[in-house]
Amino acid sequence: MKTNLLRVAIGSLLCGGFLPFSFAQEFVQDLGSETIEDDNPTQALLEGLREEDDLRDEKLERELSTTIAETIRNEPDVAIRSMGPAAARPVIKGLSGSHVEVTEDGSFSGDMSATSPDHAVASEVLTAHRLRVLRGPRILLYSYSAAGGVVQVERGDIPFNDSLFNGFVTWYAENGQPGYATAAGMSASAMGVSVKGEISGRHMGDLHTPTGKLKNTQIDNGSGAVGAAYKLGQFRLGASFRWFDSDYGIPGGFIGGHPNGVDISLWKRDLTLRGLYLPTKAKQDTLDVTMRINRYHHTEFEGAGAVGAEFAVNQENLRLEKVMANPGPLFGVRLGAELDSRSVKMGGYVFTPPTRSYAATAFAAASLGGWRGLEMTFSGRFGGAFFRPHESVVADKDALEDRDFALWALDAEFSQRVGLGKFLTFDIFRTTRAPTIEELYNQGPHLAAYTYEKGDSKLDAESGYGAELEYRSYGEFVSWRVAAHGTWFTNHLAPRATGDTNWSQLLPIYRVRGDEALLYGASASAQTVAEQGLRAATSASYVRGVFRDTDWGDMPQIPPFKIHGELGYIWQHLQTSVYSDFALAQRFVDKYEEETPSYIIFGFIIEIRWKLALAHYSLVFRADNLLDADVRNHLSRLKSIMPEKGRNFSILANMKF
Amino acid sequence: MIKKFSLAVLSILLCAFFAACGDDNSTSTDQHEHFEVEGWNLYWPDWSLAYSVYRGKIDEKHNELHVNANCLSEHLNIKFLDENKKEVAGPKDDEHTLGWEVGDKKILDIEWEGGWGFHLKGVKEGKTTLILKVNHHDHADARTPEISIIVDKALKAEECPFQEDEDED
Repeated sequence: MKTNLLRVAIGSLLCGGFLPFSFAQEFVQDLGSETIEDDNPTQALLEGLREEDDLRDEKLERELSTTIAETIRNEPDVAIRSMGPAAARPVIKGLSGSHVEVTEDGSFSGDMSATSPDHAVASEVLTAHRLRVLRGPRILLYSYSAAGGVVQVERGDIPFNDSLFNGFVTWYAENGQPGYATAAGMSASAMGVSVKGEISGRHMGDLHTPTGKLKNTQIDNGSGAVGAAYKLGQFRLGASFRWFDSDYGIPGGFIGGHPNGVDISLWKRDLTLRGLYLPTKAKQDTLDVTMRINRYHHTEFEGAGAVGAEFAVNQENLRLEKVMANPGPLFGVRLGAELDSRSVKMGGYVFTPPTRSYAATAFAAASLGGWRGLEMTFSGRFGGAFFRPHESVVADKDALEDRDFALWALDAEFSQRVGLGKFLTFDIFRTTRAPTIEELYNQGPHLAAYTYEKGDSKLDAESGYGAELEYRSYGEFVSWRVAAHGTWFTNHLAPRATGDTNWSQLLPIYRVRGDEALLYGASASAQTVAEQGLRAATSASYVRGVFRDTDWGDMPQIPPFKIHGELGYIWQHLQTSVYSDFALAQRFVDKYEEETPSYIIFGFIIEIRWKLALAHYSLVFRADNLLDADVRNHLSRLKSIMPEKGRNFSILANMKF
Repeated sequence: MIKKFSLAVLSILLCAFFAACGDDNSTSTDQHEHFEVEGWNLYWPDWSLAYSVYRGKIDEKHNELHVNANCLSEHLNIKFLDENKKEVAGPKDDEHTLGWEVGDKKILDIEWEGGWGFHLKGVKEGKTTLILKVNHHDHADARTPEISIIVDKALKAEECPFQEDEDED
């Protein structure tokens, strides 16, 4: 318990999170004397404890897989929407697409992964230093979608740390999707100048399933980054350039898919410029300015090399954020603003007109001490989104309407420490999001969904109100949390069946519309805290979604109840675990959706770690789906033709210096 | 010295970025319109109606096609129906072609010589289905519902109502 909390507090100090510097110092001292003062900020402590849930270091190495979504699959409330192993995106609390924001080093990750299940997240997981599923009020620092979430990928491309010299080499291989991935990176600092370089490659063949090889699921990725930072008095200035190239396959042969599958080739380029001001007296009161210029290109090749779809995205984002650790009665204050410009051009058989959009946003978060230790954190996000579609042969001219949206989202979290290491939090929020350009302007077949989708340029922004109650307990032997959440959407945007048919393709016509909907669910997790000896961990998630207008009919693409359990033993340099994942059958399905059977899989993990000559080494062996079970992911478009990956043996070797 | 070095690094990064992609990130292909139709009429060579479907509703008088096993049918010409039920010709570009799906290939085959027409080829006596498509690269812009095909008893080649050389005439 002591060690765990101490680590958290120190972690928060280093990470410059919500935890005020002075408090953190006191807190660490309190731990030493085994007393925790009542006036220590609960919110600050909670933020630090929540950071313990992040995937980093050993935890990240243990879970590392092919994609970000696969790697965070066992986090509470997380599921995977997929269409092959490359095209996998996280789903949080049953919400996907633009409800889930992915950020890289604190700024947007520019790709088209939110718009279609066959679009991959353009980010290499092997080079991530930390993955975090952001919860609570801090979601609004990055997204309006308080009901969904933010997945943060941290790599530190701009090397603001002053470590003299460090680096890593990672190598991963598996036989379930035969192939390998490798990455190497290095950063160095001298006389106020820091530089970083990193490169990675991934080559994986077709997926092996219990019923055979799933053709056209290969992945070839290459990525890299260079960055530099300069220390100039109270200022830190830096820049980075990251590139990501990917060629991957989407299999065919299922309803709505292309008969022979599709080959997708994409590239992404990010130039990030960042300036940081650290005042002399209060170094935590930083002013942070980040500019990211993103270029993304995505081409889908059908049979015989014909271009089926093409997207070119040019996006620029300017983000300004001021942190104030202890201004008066408040603490952990963050104030900021964002300006964003995005242009999306389309080619081939894409039925959305090219559109330029702009957004201006202000955000704020602050914590406040209250009555009898009750503390409150408030956050808000306000702004506008402006869409300017261009004329196109695929666009219905009457629907080419400029749209402007005023957006606002609020979150208030009330925290009470109910005992030593025990926290009760109640979070209430208003969630919103602007419609996507596809939801506004698309008019055409959506082959991935086997529907003919019509956008609606008259749509209002999505909106809803929700709450989450969470209890966390950090004991001497076991830490656990349990949470229940619910969101009442007053205007939930989703394509809904109109009852009409497109007579050319004989596809049911779905029109995007706003409906009242209810999403509710619960999650729980528990783990032992001992750093040696027996180790156990478990997590479970459940969510259900219903539409009011269809007599509480079920929403589509809602993941079933799932539970993950691990049991292991930790020696000094060796850790072993056996684990099992179980998912119930999903019978709560939308009108045109198939039910999915339950599954259970077993596996084991062996981890070896040692230190030699100033370097840390680790080897992680995994055996997944040992019994070669037929696993169908309810959120996978491929479930009708093939199961998920079969028996898989993988190895991860890592050296850090 | 260090300041110069930092500026140099920053300049290199900026140059690399703009040289790599700059503002030239655009699409290399134009957006394509789908060939949208609401119905299909199939005609025999004398322009008598053989099969008709409009907005999913099949004309009951012309709801199935017949061919004898071992024989080719007469040439069937395809006309498409637009949203006003007006007949329109099929696309004339190279990107659109006629496609089909036969329910049971042991019963029926299709003989196609290009354009918007085809012959049924009876393989063996029985019933099966046929779906006609307007293929556009790797996907179908338009398709018919399942057309009922009846392959009647086998005839000797010389007894077939339609002889291949008639096409050449």
